[in-house]
Amino acid sequence: MTLAQDPRAALDALADSVVPYLLGVRHHSPALAAAVPALLDAAGAEVVCVELPADFQPWLTHLGAPGTLAPVALAGAVEGGRLGFYPFADFSPELAAVRWARERGVEVVCCDLPMADARWHTEGDVRAEAVGPPASASFAQALTAAGTGRAGDDLWDRSVEVLAPGCTPESLRRAALSVGWALRQDSESSGGVPAVDLAREAHMRETIALAAAGGRRVAAVVGAFHAPALAEGAALREREPERADGAGVRGTPATGSGLPAEPSLVVTSLVPYAFDLLDSRSGYPAGIRDPRWQQAVFSAAGDPDLLYDAAARAITGVCRELRAAGHTAGTGEARETLRVAGDLARLRGLPAPGRGEMLEALTSVMGQGEPLGRGRALARALEVVLVGTERGRVAPGTPRSGLGPSVEAELAALRLPGPDDPARRELRLDPLRSVLDNRREILLRRLDVCGVGYGEPVEVAGTGDAAALTTRWRAAWVPSVPVRLDLAGVRGVTAALAAEGTLRETFRRESAEGAPTCALVLTGLRDAARCDLPDLVAQRLAEAAEVLPASATLPEILTGLDLLEALRRGHLPGTTPGTRRAAGVLAADLLESAVGSLPGLAGSDDPEEVAALVALAARAGEHRLGLRMDEALSGLAHTGSPLVQGAALACRVLLDLDGADTLGARAAGWIDAATGPDARHALARRLAGLLTGAAPLLQSASTALDPLLDRVDSLADQAFLERLPALRGGFDTLSPAGRDRLLHTVTERLGDRLDLALAASPELLALWAAADEAGRTAVEALWPTPRTADLPAPTTAGVRPVPAPDPSGAAEPADAVPRIPPTDRWRLLLGSQSDKLPAGARRYAHALDELYGTGRGEGSSDPGRDGGRGGGQDASFPTAREWAEELQALFGAEVREEVLARAADQGRGDVLAELDPAAVRPSVDLLTSVLSLAGGMPEQQLARLRPLVRRLVDELAKELATRVRPALTGLATPRPTRRPGGRIDLPRTLRANLAHARRGADGSTLVVPERPVFSTRSRKEADWRLILVVDVSGSMEASVVWSALTAAVLGGVPTLSTHFLAFSTDVIDLTDRVDDPLSLLLEVRVGGGTHIAAGLAHARSLVTVPSRTLVVVVSDFEEGYPLGGLLGEVRTLAGSGVHLMGCAALDDTGTPRYSVPVARQLVAAGMPVAALSPLALARWVGERLRGESR
Amino acid sequence: MTPTDTATALPHRQTLPAEERHATELAFLAAYDDGPRPPGWLLTPRSVITFVCGSAGEPLKLAKPHETLPRELVVAPKFVGERALVERCVVTLAGERGLLLVGEPGTAKSMLSELLAAAVCGTSALTVQGTAGTTEDALRYGWNYALLLAQGPTPQALVDSPVLAAMRSGRVARVEEITRCLPEVQDALVSILSDRRMSVPELSGTDDAQVAAASGFTVIATANLRDRGVSEMSAALKRRFNFETVHPIADVDAETALVKRQAVAAVERAGAAFDVDDAVLDVLVTVFRDLRAGRSAEGWDVERPGTVMSTAEAVQVAVSLGVATAYLPAGDPLDLVPGHLLGVVRKDDPTDHARLLGYWDGPVRRRAEDGSATWRRLWDLRENLR
Repeated sequence: MTLAQDPRAALDALADSVVPYLLGVRHHSPALAAAVPALLDAAGAEVVCVELPADFQPWLTHLGAPGTLAPVALAGAVEGGRLGFYPFADFSPELAAVRWARERGVEVVCCDLPMADARWHTEGDVRAEAVGPPASASFAQALTAAGTGRAGDDLWDRSVEVLAPGCTPESLRRAALSVGWALRQDSESSGGVPAVDLAREAHMRETIALAAAGGRRVAAVVGAFHAPALAEGAALREREPERADGAGVRGTPATGSGLPAEPSLVVTSLVPYAFDLLDSRSGYPAGIRDPRWQQAVFSAAGDPDLLYDAAARAITGVCRELRAAGHTAGTGEARETLRVAGDLARLRGLPAPGRGEMLEALTSVMGQGEPLGRGRALARALEVVLVGTERGRVAPGTPRSGLGPSVEAELAALRLPGPDDPARRELRLDPLRSVLDNRREILLRRLDVCGVGYGEPVEVAGTGDAAALTTRWRAAWVPSVPVRLDLAGVRGVTAALAAEGTLRETFRRESAEGAPTCALVLTGLRDAARCDLPDLVAQRLAEAAEVLPASATLPEILTGLDLLEALRRGHLPGTTPGTRRAAGVLAADLLESAVGSLPGLAGSDDPEEVAALVALAARAGEHRLGLRMDEALSGLAHTGSPLVQGAALACRVLLDLDGADTLGARAAGWIDAATGPDARHALARRLAGLLTGAAPLLQSASTALDPLLDRVDSLADQAFLERLPALRGGFDTLSPAGRDRLLHTVTERLGDRLDLALAASPELLALWAAADEAGRTAVEALWPTPRTADLPAPTTAGVRPVPAPDPSGAAEPADAVPRIPPTDRWRLLLGSQSDKLPAGARRYAHALDELYGTGRGEGSSDPGRDGGRGGGQDASFPTAREWAEELQALFGAEVREEVLARAADQGRGDVLAELDPAAVRPSVDLLTSVLSLAGGMPEQQLARLRPLVRRLVDELAKELATRVRPALTGLATPRPTRRPGGRIDLPRTLRANLAHARRGADGSTLVVPERPVFSTRSRKEADWRLILVVDVSGSMEASVVWSALTAAVLGGVPTLSTHFLAFSTDVIDLTDRVDDPLSLLLEVRVGGGTHIAAGLAHARSLVTVPSRTLVVVVSDFEEGYPLGGLLGEVRTLAGSGVHLMGCAALDDTGTPRYSVPVARQLVAAGMPVAALSPLALARWVGERLRGESR
Repeated sequence: MTPTDTATALPHRQTLPAEERHATELAFLAAYDDGPRPPGWLLTPRSVITFVCGSAGEPLKLAKPHETLPRELVVAPKFVGERALVERCVVTLAGERGLLLVGEPGTAKSMLSELLAAAVCGTSALTVQGTAGTTEDALRYGWNYALLLAQGPTPQALVDSPVLAAMRSGRVARVEEITRCLPEVQDALVSILSDRRMSVPELSGTDDAQVAAASGFTVIATANLRDRGVSEMSAALKRRFNFETVHPIADVDAETALVKRQAVAAVERAGAAFDVDDAVLDVLVTVFRDLRAGRSAEGWDVERPGTVMSTAEAVQVAVSLGVATAYLPAGDPLDLVPGHLLGVVRKDDPTDHARLLGYWDGPVRRRAEDGSATWRRLWDLRENLR
């Protein structure tokens, strides 16, 4: 086709072609499928050639058999990987042709290239070409422009399907041929027809020529795209492609031998199929949108009235589904939808509404402009009504084929338990070393994914921190396996296909509630990679790139980074160079979005999260340091929780954003400020955070260490001892080896101790010792000071002899001179080398060791270490009482309480008995510790604990109430105003306008109201309802306590009825306990997953008057379920007019710990998210009640 | 949006309503297509679509000459967007059903509603602007209180709202920003849209106690997606509207062209010549599109700021750049871009600033690394963002 043809002439030539009679189709086309029998009758075809690889010839009789119920699919797999997949429904023109041929007794010939032919190459989906519009399509563009101009319009649909009703079959055929011709022209003018298509068409021409031998009338039912190449004389115009020898010989199905030439290479099968798999959105190849609707179009067979009926039925069905889902969708809307669909069709000059018009009308009338919430319900309804789940069936007597035989063959090849050897075996596989093991592993994974119940993975522990690279399986061919294989067979005919199909299906179903969750995408990615499905891996990676940066929480991001690293290194089978590269790129992206979610960490008090923060900062810094990271870290360093502040500060120094001296100065400042219990607690947390990030920094950067040294050195004994537990707690983060190193640095810098590691000869040492001894004797002779017996080898420290600290702990406060030497102070606060401490100081070390031990991590299991638990030779305290007494004696009551609370926090329940309920200082920290312990206690112990909890709760609630109540008082009353709005205030109006009264002609008095007065709207104070929905999953303890206290306080407000819902994955309604925060708190058990949507759903059931209902969600918003459900709930609530508030944290400081991306989407959905203090919350409630702002 | 009939423009008004601005086109289309029209309509539905979407550059010819109208006319496109969307809107209106246009701010919803109203009934003036202070009077009726007190409730004392006026005359009433009204105010529309009449209880006993809608009456309302939760519409009201979501302009070239066209017009109104380089406008539109979509043109993920990043805002910045180069020439207008962006983005949420920084760290830096001189300059200007 060198010259540009007149489209009309070209089309005439195509349509008039006799050898063969051309029927250009799309593989799913209800309009054409209905017209095929009439067209073939009219052509009087004696042979029908269909576009199927020759390998499928034997299946044609079964395909057309009366017992075969569509949808079914033909599948062929060539050894080496190429797959052909051909689903058929009633509305497939090919199936219509095959059925017609069977009824008329006409021969059918598969005319496409045999699957094993080399010319197939390995590329692409064989069916895409007739449907996909080419890149720069002039003809196609012209045809499309004649349509609606709607984006994403389907050319075939617009040019053939929607115009079909009421047309003759012949004009339909011409329309189809014209689309194919246009697409082909465009494809030729932009880069040419792919070689594989040319080769296939050459083969088709040969087959048709053979079939036409003897003057038989041949009808070719082929893709419309191929039709121009098959027309009479097309071969002459087409440049004949180089053709492989013997191809023609193999393509001789016209003889009806029924068997492909090389059956050993190709495995073919005919399997049942299902509508939901046929829908192109299911991810299966060669699908079509909305099969059930297509089926209805097929049944209407081109009658516009029947099509109207079908549309009406579908629309009614959607309304019913919507109503079933709890949305309003009445007959009125259904009528309006049908009208809009019909009028749109009329406006566009169509005989009947097509799928496009119907969907447009449905979205317009029913969707209400909400992509979430109602829009989702609509999408679900559409899926039920238009997609359907009908399954096909192959006729009885069809040979067994598909998944079962394929898997059995594979098992035999891999020497795994199979039908002949069903016994259970345990396998240990090393897939990265052995090729056979790798194949076994992949097959086992695939079967596992298909739910066949064949192999069962056994947990393998890795060595050290590394992940295990070998796997163990227990596999057996139990009788249920073949049955389940048959079930899974619908999804594919080989283990690979079935696994891919199952994964896609599961993924689609689970993400049907909305966009897929991050967890789902990550699981999907891992499974796809394990099952060696590179296409799916690529697709999931693309999805991960969509989903993860937008909504992943920090832990998910870290999991994701690990997985991506494994993919990038090729540890998992299903990767290609492309996906490995993509994984690397995505990892970088993920790192960037992790930076964006950093502000959500501000309130974290979890050392692991802080460690993650430091790791993240380090990685981001390696990658490249952005403006954003700088901003985020400085924000955290200023406003975060103490732990996060320390870590952020450390990160800033590590990334060279701040100088080390800033760090040292701030740390020194913390020590100065640690005068009260709260500040001391903050000191401990800040130091812990700091040391998580910057422990090595202290050893290397003198500017960072100097201020600290200076401060520890210059504190008075009393002040130092007060801060000692906090400091010790902060330095507890360091591993024992780290502490040794730090201590070494410190002692080196202080230079106050004889370095015993000095390489001096024993003789020299003996001399030095003798000299020292002599010196000491001389000094003692001069100043006979009483001194303790066992000070460690005194050098310069000996100049300032240390008396044992006074056991009462009240060492001379006025004494500004430090009495404990700096090195010993460091030993104390690092908790190491306690055997080198003087006896008095050792008591302190011992008392604190009871709580902190010697630390975890590097060096802790070193048996030769000094200063093990209990400080060397000292035994640990036999009872908590003794320990408490010792603490009291050493540090005083206040510090003792802090240490005991800290011990309770670490899980030592026995210390709680030592706390005096009457004297204890009420704090939420203590209360959380007590409550977290209460969960695991027997009732008897709990009974002893109750007074303590009661006092804590009472005190805190009282304190809160005094602050909160004022925020709730004061109600607005209607006020007079000049602004027209509310009701007119007649008395006032009269009074204001008396000056304008005049007497009328008839003597009546007329008041001209020049200045009308109105009254503002006043809201009646009525029964408001506050529903606190509180997340009790894991990390929310402090907020839970505050929520309960707030609920108790607000529960006392007369106009407010307060509800308290605690949720993790379940929802517990604790409303009846709101009055008594004690029992409320003892009832709540923290832990479990997060399902906010469930909590909100229950809250919604409590709503009676939406405009007078406040719903407050206290959560970290790390939803463990599909986000779509949560967003839908929020939209529904917001849509009904409920006042919503999301609290990322509810505590005194209002420092949040939450998932930033999720919160952002919630805000967009209509729920403001903020970190509030109870006071701010009460203020908000008060504002709502007074109706100050809406 | 594009002044096509400049001849009729009066110099002393800043803007003209659509029906005046496009008077020629409307008259022409009314004469051009004399097919059947829905009751009360001035044009056929197909002509309304042509009016809004343009005639694709093809001149339309009148069947018989007309004394005041040109023989043939190219109808200019006024709304950049899907034709199918306009078709659905027209079909909705032809069924006398309420039409609610929703979408991000700055997606030309109001302009579309103005064009539709002008084309359907010849006036876009029957408009209620929704605000938190909008009262029921604006949707139903008010009173001339002086007359009311003097004469008691009489039809003369009644002050029609735009909606009531539209009902009496069978035209299209427009309610802008309906979700900004308080819910109880919005709900005044429910009975109007379902019963198609308004009762005036104060006049009960007279013939004026009921005002029935003349055929052709319908309502076009607009709502911003960003206003969600301000005053959510009730389900009852939602059921009485067909919803159409207007999306931001999908095509980058179309958007750049639009920004340029409008910026040039605005700067010329300000009495200066527009002298901003196209490359700068390209950059500007790209940044706006990236931040609006949450995804860069290259497909990189971008964090969306909470602020509106509409085409209208892009035009504003372009105008500012144009005016600045015209009156305060000081180097490259590109240097001003970060400052203006900061002004657009940082409105109420401080984290939006961080998001803009993130955008600089991501796409801007990558493009700079890829060797684009313009983007490298922007990257160098990063300190302006602090």
